[in-house]
Amino acid sequence: METVLSTQQLTKNFGRLCAVNHLDLEVKRGEVFGMLGPNGSGKTTTLGMLMGVVNPTAGNFSWFGQPPSHHIRKKIGAVLEHPIFYPYLSGQKNLELMALIKEAPVTNIPKVLELVELSDRKGDKYKTYSLGMKQRLAIASALLNDPIVLILDEPTNGLDPMGIAEIREIIKRIATDGKTIILASHMLDEVQKVCSHFAILRKGNLVHSGPVDDVGKGEEQVEVVAFHDDLALLLEGFMGASSIKKENHQYVVKMKEGFHSQDLNRYLFEKGIVATHLVTQKKSLEKQFLEILAEADHAAPIKN
Amino acid sequence: MLHLLKIDLKKLIDYRTFWVICGLYFFTLVAGAASGMEFLKWLGRTFEQFGQSININRIPLYHFPDIWQNLAWSAGLLKLGLAIMVVISITNEFTYRTIRQNIIDGLSREQFLISKMLTNLMLSAISMILIFLIAMVTGLIYSPTLDFPYGLTGIGFYPAYFLEVFAFLSFSLMLGVLIQRSGLTIILLLNSYLIELIIRENIDNYFPQTVPFFPLESIMNLVPLPFARYAFQEVRDYVSLGSIAIALVWTFLFNYFAYLKLKKSDI
Ligand SMILES: Nc1ncnc2c1ncn2[C@@H]1O[C@H](COP(=O)(O)OP(=O)(O)O)[C@@H](O)[C@H]1O
Ligand SMILES: [Mg+2]
Repeated sequence: METVLSTQQLTKNFGRLCAVNHLDLEVKRGEVFGMLGPNGSGKTTTLGMLMGVVNPTAGNFSWFGQPPSHHIRKKIGAVLEHPIFYPYLSGQKNLELMALIKEAPVTNIPKVLELVELSDRKGDKYKTYSLGMKQRLAIASALLNDPIVLILDEPTNGLDPMGIAEIREIIKRIATDGKTIILASHMLDEVQKVCSHFAILRKGNLVHSGPVDDVGKGEEQVEVVAFHDDLALLLEGFMGASSIKKENHQYVVKMKEGFHSQDLNRYLFEKGIVATHLVTQKKSLEKQFLEILAEADHAAPIKN
Repeated sequence: MLHLLKIDLKKLIDYRTFWVICGLYFFTLVAGAASGMEFLKWLGRTFEQFGQSININRIPLYHFPDIWQNLAWSAGLLKLGLAIMVVISITNEFTYRTIRQNIIDGLSREQFLISKMLTNLMLSAISMILIFLIAMVTGLIYSPTLDFPYGLTGIGFYPAYFLEVFAFLSFSLMLGVLIQRSGLTIILLLNSYLIELIIRENIDNYFPQTVPFFPLESIMNLVPLPFARYAFQEVRDYVSLGSIAIALVWTFLFNYFAYLKLKKSDI
């Protein structure tokens, strides 16, 4: 598949602080790529370099296989860290200005305003907007030139649950259009909910990258509840179980490689037991994340 | 080019402060120039002594060709108003961080600077044209005789005035880019001439020949003070090519320093 972005050994030092350390990334067309990392791990700095506002200390990157230039940036829609607009201009005027810079048709403005549901407030000055409206206007502005790539940096930061849900809904809608999205976030579930691929940064170092679907692969854990006195014994008799734990009212069965919940279900049924509760625990990105970070701590001592 | 100018004007056209400052500036320019003669007449009527000791009608303040240099020099005093507008326009970009978004959206840093320089050129050109028209009109009203082409001598001060404004606006733009905060920049701008004067006075004793090369001095030198001629003193009543050359070099340097700063800093 076509490579949209690739970085080679991209590095940024702020004085003695190494904010981004020899970063190699690859994003392919159509991916929703999550950049995950705690605050201060270098996400915004990386995106700043990719968008020409932070001068890299070392390394290279290319968009669509071409060296960076301001022409390429016009084809990318990006909002870094906070929405930035002229406070004394209305939402509409801000977008008109941006259309001028991006050489985008002004006829796109009503469309993007509609998408983020800001049409009825477009004439109001930007400084009168609520935080959620500002974030939505930022997304609208990023979509203005019908970009091939969309870059969003903590787009739900500081929003209430409603606002967060709205923004995620918008992102998903955009993703189904086949756009490539790069989403930086410190929130695991956000990445898990919207991304197809992700990379984990820690103190400027890349500690993991791969598809989100791979997360949760490996052995499965199944929660079981059934009305039977000797359930524990029965479960131990299941050849697919590698261990069994009792948690509150339920048993958690850790499955061996190659066994799944349906195998357990069939086994119980054959024994004449109908489970009232049988759920595969999806291994959350959070656990994976913590595991990866723990591994990184042990394996590679982080150079600073 | 025109595209870049349009971008910067789009930022200003709905900005109330811009209209207030520019409005005040151009109003003062027109009103000041147009009312000068009336003011002198009023002085003459009100204070009889004043009218007797100097016959105001004999001072050809508003007569061709004196009016060209007289107005160009006087208008030069007001350029500080425009300069403050330029400082606000550039420092806003840093305080609102909109310069960052402009670059992200696809302007290069050069283009960003050029868009600001183009606005400076436009403001300078409008000032020059306006002052030229005022000089033309008031000259036609007050000059007792129209004697062309003699009446046009000194018209070369208008391109010089244009350069004077543009050079000073370039200086203000550079200060704004270097300092990035409006209050501090304006304070420094207001004191810049004083600072230069102090440095100049200290050097004057040793290297008096360097004085015309000082940046603000070179800008002032473009259109020299004309009024001393009414006290029977010699004044330079022509545009000196040397002063143009020095001011051009400084103008280039101001913009170049701004460019260097923008180029190498993280935004
Ligand atoms: N302009 C700057 N000057 C100095 N240090 C900076 C600057 N920008 C970011 N940093 C530092 O670089 C590190 C990475 O920051 P950032 O990229 O903003 O992280 P993230 O976006 O992942 O939260 C942090 O330690 C931050 O303090
Ligand atoms: Mg950040």
